[in-house]
Amino acid sequence: MPRVSPPHGQEPVRGGPGTAKRVYAWFEQRLQLEGPVKDAALHPVPRSTASWWYVFGSAAFTLLLLQIVTGVLLALVYVPSAGEAWSSLNVLNHQIPLGWFLRALHGWGSNFMVAIVLIHMAQVFLFGAYKFPRELTWILGVFLLLMTLGMAFTGQVLRFDQDAYWGLGIGASILSRVPFIGGGLVHLLLGGPIIAGATLSRFFALHVFIIPGALLVFALLHIWMVLKLGINDWPMPGRLVRRATYMEEYNRLAHEDGIPFIPGAFWKDLAFSGAILAAVAVCAYVLGPFGPSGQPDPSIIQTVPKPDFFFLWIYTVLSYLPPEMETPFILIAPLIGIAILLAIPFWAGEGEKSWHRRPVAVLAVSTIAICFAVLTQLGTSTPWSPHMSAWSGDPIPVRYLQTATPLVRQGAVVFQAKQCRNCHSIGGAGGERGPALDDVATRMTLDQMRFKVVSGGGNMPAYGKNLSAAEIEALVSFLETLHPANEPPAYDASRRAVDESRSQPNAGAPPANPAANRGTNP
Amino acid sequence: MRFTASALLACGAALLGGCGHTPGYPPNPILRPTAVTDFATLYSQNCAACHGANGQNGPSIDLANPEYQALVDDATLRKWISGGMPGTEMPAFAESQGGMLTDAQVNALIAGMRRQWSRPDAFGGTAPPAYAQTAVGDPHRGEASYEAHCAICHAATHEQGHEQVTSPMYLALVGDQALRTIMIAGRPDIGQPDWRHDGPGGKAGVPLSTQDVDDIGTYLASLRTMGQQVTTGTSSAQAKSAAPAGR
Repeated sequence: MPRVSPPHGQEPVRGGPGTAKRVYAWFEQRLQLEGPVKDAALHPVPRSTASWWYVFGSAAFTLLLLQIVTGVLLALVYVPSAGEAWSSLNVLNHQIPLGWFLRALHGWGSNFMVAIVLIHMAQVFLFGAYKFPRELTWILGVFLLLMTLGMAFTGQVLRFDQDAYWGLGIGASILSRVPFIGGGLVHLLLGGPIIAGATLSRFFALHVFIIPGALLVFALLHIWMVLKLGINDWPMPGRLVRRATYMEEYNRLAHEDGIPFIPGAFWKDLAFSGAILAAVAVCAYVLGPFGPSGQPDPSIIQTVPKPDFFFLWIYTVLSYLPPEMETPFILIAPLIGIAILLAIPFWAGEGEKSWHRRPVAVLAVSTIAICFAVLTQLGTSTPWSPHMSAWSGDPIPVRYLQTATPLVRQGAVVFQAKQCRNCHSIGGAGGERGPALDDVATRMTLDQMRFKVVSGGGNMPAYGKNLSAAEIEALVSFLETLHPANEPPAYDASRRAVDESRSQPNAGAPPANPAANRGTNP
Repeated sequence: MRFTASALLACGAALLGGCGHTPGYPPNPILRPTAVTDFATLYSQNCAACHGANGQNGPSIDLANPEYQALVDDATLRKWISGGMPGTEMPAFAESQGGMLTDAQVNALIAGMRRQWSRPDAFGGTAPPAYAQTAVGDPHRGEASYEAHCAICHAATHEQGHEQVTSPMYLALVGDQALRTIMIAGRPDIGQPDWRHDGPGGKAGVPLSTQDVDDIGTYLASLRTMGQQVTTGTSSAQAKSAAPAGR
């Protein structure tokens, strides 16, 4: 309903409050925004929606605004060219006052935004807010999630460092597995057959124009529908959603037990958004910006690229999948996932909203959250991957060498030089692909260790042809010392019997030191 | 109120930009691996695993021993780092030899070791035996010298008998030069005395002469050769049981 501000009876003083009012009236006469804004601000919402559980959507939008503001400021300096992007990020980090903080705000804002969007989605799902008449709001939300993840990925690429380069390589190889059109898709994504100058320009356009433009339009439509359809009423067990009656029930609830949206429910949104912004600022201040890591040069092989936090779970899944499962999984699973998300409001558009009576929904969210957490944790530690620099970088803990014999010391050298440590950690440093060896001597006898080194077994390759006899003996001598002081090394009972029968004068007395029965010792 | 706001603003500005101790301030740009010439970084990435975190207490020789630093000249150090040390597990690190370090990085390692671990007059005015063996020693005389100077700790009959260094298994993994270097410079980090103190109780007695070191080196090398004759073509277990025979 368009309205025009009434004329003022009082003659305004030039430059005083009256002038402001006249300016306001001049604009309002033309824009006529006051009415709709007031309607939106004061429309009644059910009292139960003024809850701290209903603040995540507004927080996500606040973060989007933060990303836009910080993104625009970053774009003033960032150079989207393969040759200069990396340097321009270092200029931002080190040469422009507070440039590092701006990057940190944008980076942490991105992480917070993905997290808040996921929490918002889980909350909406558990509260049944996707049911009639809010199906389209949910569907737009699903696309908003995808676009948020798209922003996170393209943003990671714009931080053109080693992680970005290899992350992009993995993204391109995933695309290349699409049947028939894979090659064309890679060409489209990279702007050519390889990651080059055109690639960064494309991702810049995606990250700065295409996705944010769509994201903003979708987000505004999403909010528009929230305003028009009303905030989801608090789910009560037994209060079922029916298409025929829901709107009438909701309106009655909003008007009979309602409060105006502003300030009734809105102050909690404001407070939470403020807290989230503060949290982003604190993280940015304390933890700083993300990267850039090393230069994006494929000739640099001393690198262990990892995706950003929210894609670590995919990295883990791809690492653990058997090779024949990779293509079906990476091409089909996402489509099924998105299809399920889009189908949910149509499949369960009516009925119970409360999580108290939707055990499957609660279980589904819990399972996904637990899988996400576990896969992310595994992605952080990458136990499947050898730790390629351990052999030359991580010292043997001094306590393991304090009483070492010359041969044991040489065994430790062999252990390092032959890169056993790439897969086996000791002292908490080294790879996790094989078991940690800090107490290996309590688990395996000398003969078992020697056999394992020579012949391999399980995941362990055979090293018999790569090590000399002396190296093997030195190595197992070292390994045999790896046991806690109060726990003797494992010892073969039959070997003990043979040793005892050989040393007849002392038959029956157990050897003081099992090692003393070995050939290298007198 | 206005004062509080200004104070907050000032604090904020100081926290974010004013001081250099901001926790989130990013580290310096990451250099290309071949451009790193910082000694601490190069040492910790390439050497620390075998030679110990601070040049000592590792399984291999302690580079932080000032006597070692005084004994070995730059050209020799460069040769070992670049091309590896024959007869030992020390690999070649120079790009030209299949490693990952540039010549500048090898030089940075040498300069860093000198700066950090060299000490003037490390030998206290006494001239040590020559670093490299130039004459062939006498293994029989060497055995006698070994018994006189080394066997107190490294004797086969010692209750800590496994301290012995005469095992062909051990000798197969340690080159002549590495043994000689330890005889001369010692390994203070694990209590191995230098050439002046090799003897009963590690007391300064008659220092080992160049001749003694040559002889002991030749004696130990002869044990290695005997061990190799025994172990060639045998399985490791057989080699193991044959080891005492090699002595």
